[in-house]
Amino acid sequence: MLILGIFAVGILVGYRWFPEKLKRPNSVLQLLCIAALVFCMGAMLGRRENFFEELGRLGLDSLLLAVIPMACSALLVFAATKWWGKRNKKQADGEEKS
Amino acid sequence: MTILILIALAAGIFCGRFLFSAQAAALAGDLSDWILMLLMFSVGVSVGTNKDLFRRLRRMDLRVWMVPAGVILGSMAGGALCSLFVSLGFWESVGVSAGMGWYSLCGVMLSDFYGADVGAVAFLSNLLREILSFLTIPLAVRWLNPYAAISLAGATSEDTTLPVLIRHTSAEMVVYSVVNGVLTSAAIPVLLRLIYDMGR
Repeated sequence: MLILGIFAVGILVGYRWFPEKLKRPNSVLQLLCIAALVFCMGAMLGRRENFFEELGRLGLDSLLLAVIPMACSALLVFAATKWWGKRNKKQADGEEKS
Repeated sequence: MTILILIALAAGIFCGRFLFSAQAAALAGDLSDWILMLLMFSVGVSVGTNKDLFRRLRRMDLRVWMVPAGVILGSMAGGALCSLFVSLGFWESVGVSAGMGWYSLCGVMLSDFYGADVGAVAFLSNLLREILSFLTIPLAVRWLNPYAAISLAGATSEDTTLPVLIRHTSAEMVVYSVVNGVLTSAAIPVLLRLIYDMGR
């Protein structure tokens, strides 16, 4: 909850008070934070006794968890936007006839 | 940026394996909580400064909401389906898939919630999502439609995969891509927390 609160405060600050000239330094800060976080994560993983042995199993799980959600998103968005396009076309055709 | 992240990960693993003591690795864990808070504030600021985007949102049709809604629901449904095949539990799988390509944040948050194993899978799978979307966007534009192509990229459609999307779609799609990226990115920390609370 604390993380979400901080996120919300950031949105408010960005919307109301954040100066334009600090946008680029803010992006740089994000990149540095991400690199630092990933480094820390790597350090914790590297400390684990059987990390390299477990990497094969982790790799397959990761691949499935990338491909299947991508496919589901694409199909769902395709179906929804196609339906919307057909609906608009029907309405436009109906208006033309009348 | 991806290369920098991979270098940071490799350096971290190397240091954890060969250089750091147990205390140093534990300190890295504690430090990551503070860095995460700083990152979340900074990301919130980026979302909040998109005033022009909020104005454009009011003028666009329903598809501008359909794409991020479809990305979120489709990704989570895919994660739920994956729980039948992977070594993670149901809520962990859904949490990993709710990262929607934002590998750094998702990896760290899920590491915090579920442990380093799940964090590693979250990191790798969302990184793979970003990499695979570079390859699959042109195919999706040809076989499905440009909106489906945007959905493959998930939260990365506002930055890293935007150039690929522009190249294979049209100028009109830029707004859909950026809106999708901003809305899904804003939703990710909320979703990850919600999923974790629901699974407890």
